[in-house]
Amino acid sequence: MSIVITGIGTVGPHGVGTAALAAALADGTNAATELEPVPDFHSPSAHPRYLGRVDPAALAPHLDPRTSRRMSLPSRLAVVAARLARADAGLEAEHFEGHDVAVCLGTAFGPTDFTIRLLDQIRDKGPEAASPFLFMESVANAHAGQVALDAQLVGPNATIVQREASALSAVAQGVSYLASGRCELALVGAVDEIAPMTHGALERFGALSSGPCGRALDAARDGYAVSEGATVLVLERDDTAHARGARVLARVRTALRGNDPTASAVTWGDGAERLGLTLRLGLERAGLTPFAIDRVVSGASGSRRGDRLEALLLRQVLGDTPPSVLTPKAVTGEFGGGFLAAAVLAATGADFGPTPGFESVDPELGLRPHDGRPLERARTVLVSSLAAGGAAAWLVLEAGEA
Amino acid sequence: MSAPVHASASLAPPARVFVTGLGCVTPFGIGVEAFARGLASARAAFDDVTLFPSAGHRTRLAGEVRAELGPALADLAPRVKRHLSRTDAFAVLAAREALSDAALAPEDGEAGVFLGSSTGGMFEGEEFFWRLRATGGRARVSDIASQQHNGPADAVARAFGLHGPLVTMSSACSAASMAFEAALASLRAGETDVALAGGADGLCRLTYAGFNALRAVDEAPCRPFRADRAGLSLGEGAGLLVLETEAHARARGARVHGEFLGAGSSCDAHHMTAPKEDGSGLALAVEKALADARIGPADVDAVNAHGTATPLNDAAEWRGLTAVFGERVRELVFLPTKASIGHLLGAAGGAEAVASLLALRAGCATRVPGEGPLDPDCPARFADAAELPLAHDATILSVNLAFGGANAAVLLRGVRP
Repeated sequence: MSIVITGIGTVGPHGVGTAALAAALADGTNAATELEPVPDFHSPSAHPRYLGRVDPAALAPHLDPRTSRRMSLPSRLAVVAARLARADAGLEAEHFEGHDVAVCLGTAFGPTDFTIRLLDQIRDKGPEAASPFLFMESVANAHAGQVALDAQLVGPNATIVQREASALSAVAQGVSYLASGRCELALVGAVDEIAPMTHGALERFGALSSGPCGRALDAARDGYAVSEGATVLVLERDDTAHARGARVLARVRTALRGNDPTASAVTWGDGAERLGLTLRLGLERAGLTPFAIDRVVSGASGSRRGDRLEALLLRQVLGDTPPSVLTPKAVTGEFGGGFLAAAVLAATGADFGPTPGFESVDPELGLRPHDGRPLERARTVLVSSLAAGGAAAWLVLEAGEA
Repeated sequence: MSAPVHASASLAPPARVFVTGLGCVTPFGIGVEAFARGLASARAAFDDVTLFPSAGHRTRLAGEVRAELGPALADLAPRVKRHLSRTDAFAVLAAREALSDAALAPEDGEAGVFLGSSTGGMFEGEEFFWRLRATGGRARVSDIASQQHNGPADAVARAFGLHGPLVTMSSACSAASMAFEAALASLRAGETDVALAGGADGLCRLTYAGFNALRAVDEAPCRPFRADRAGLSLGEGAGLLVLETEAHARARGARVHGEFLGAGSSCDAHHMTAPKEDGSGLALAVEKALADARIGPADVDAVNAHGTATPLNDAAEWRGLTAVFGERVRELVFLPTKASIGHLLGAAGGAEAVASLLALRAGCATRVPGEGPLDPDCPARFADAAELPLAHDATILSVNLAFGGANAAVLLRGVRP
């Protein structure tokens, strides 16, 4: 038995659907736009700020106004991405009804905008004024519940929160549900909104890039760029996918998780060596050697410490001259699931253009991201994400038939 | 040693998983024995909430952890103590107790961490937000360093140098039980041999006002399954178990508190906050847990009920359990733990698992706080006037229901002394 990806739905700053994202990845273009500072949340300094936003109008064709009104932005993003993924996988109601379909979505921060609105109500007008609707949609798992409600999915309904590793951790949990027979099919992925308070807090922590994109692995990188969005994948066992004649986008050879306990609560640690051991052992148990990896989709985003840890880890496991390293967060931004969608596209042989923002190799990191030259289609793709706070998650994807 | 959750995991009979350590922080205090004494006292741990003003709410009560956390954390390294939220501290203290109880040293650092939390360090996040609004943006950002939902799990892994899988399940009130399910699958698949699993959550304005807005709270202490129940009481704390594969536990001669037999989860796909009236979503989770444990309904002796004491929830829960157990549901011993400590939200399943194992250790279900007639529509048999006997090796089902329709069920079996 193996587990395959048969559908993908993505919504982000580049638009709705994989075609828009694939075009951006091929061109190496970032869609972040300038953000006006928001009083109380941003510092008064006048430097430009950027955010990869989702155009609400782009969601309208996919979500009727009545449904949209009863959802927070993360719920709307997740429901649209899930609908796109189901359609991409050719799934109809008959595949859900009476079947055990899981939903497993990651999020870094949850529905922050509704949380802030609810806290403002409590602060300004007292608890009597608190809106039940805002509360209902403020819980971190609201979007997963809405995805289930939208398609009547009665399997496990999980929300995973591990900062930058949320998306891959959610995929790993979905793989676990499938592999252990806890569901027949799983919708997995990630969703994020970047509310002004989140953006402002990340800025105060010094996490954000000064430009519209994070300069992944670059010597002069100064932080990551953030994006909103959602990506949902359809995971199923290969026998069920085969039985219904589904197209296989990619195979999940293995999903791995670990932790770097040297990390502080707010940033990345320096435990590359021990993380490397976890990753190597995981590959070994999946019957893989590092030599089998012929493409890396790295979670490097432009973070000073995060990219350092990522690069040292990759070199620890893959050697000083690893295979081509794609850093799609330079295009998609951090958060919002774009990275996950890009990883699947990499496994399907999509084109990747030059890495925006990259100019010079950091001598300590010694890694140069993909420069845009045409690449042969990869057979085995390592996808890596390391989170501030310590969490780590990896996928190994193999090319499907699509 | 770590191994992947790879896609070729076997569906052969699963490895047995044992509970070898318990740890908790509850409104009764820090530690398992404080919890045991509190449960045995047949009194509820509710008092006026002091963390924030309760004016304007239907109730002033909560199961607040009043114990001093600072002294209990004193021996932790400064880098671990920095940026700990209250909830993080609950998780770290419970984890330390559970590891010590299991006689596992921090250098056994391969363990995974699977924790549920619905709001993480939201209380500190609210303080930061309040200051931002009050000062026009002049607040120390370090105050929200631990505000995130993943704060408790990250803090536990950091505090004890754990390198295994790190998973925060934030599925509202089912989060801890779903974290148990994730840990169980990980252990059986060989991803890790040892897991710290459970949940941690702290009181905050968001949930206190939110449940108030939903008219889901009782002015008085909550009274699960009683006819005059009028809503829930909120609480806070953490409950963690050390789970180990049988091979790992036996190899090191670990003391065993019980066996973690199985787990299952489901979604109502019905409503974002209200349970499905017929309880069929919960019934599906229970049936999956029974199948996972390879036992039948007749093998279950007791139920640690979700029992929030809202009129809708208890009735739906009863119907769901009746669908699985039939008339035998009336014979099962119910443990409505929330009557003693309140609803710990993302930590509920963790504290309730500890309570279940304490009942098995004691050989009885202790008297449940509260008075009043039982609801004839959900006549749960619990220790009302006197303790109810329970065999040390009985099997207990623990269930949780959550916002978003997420249901979870876990099965624990005790061991004879």
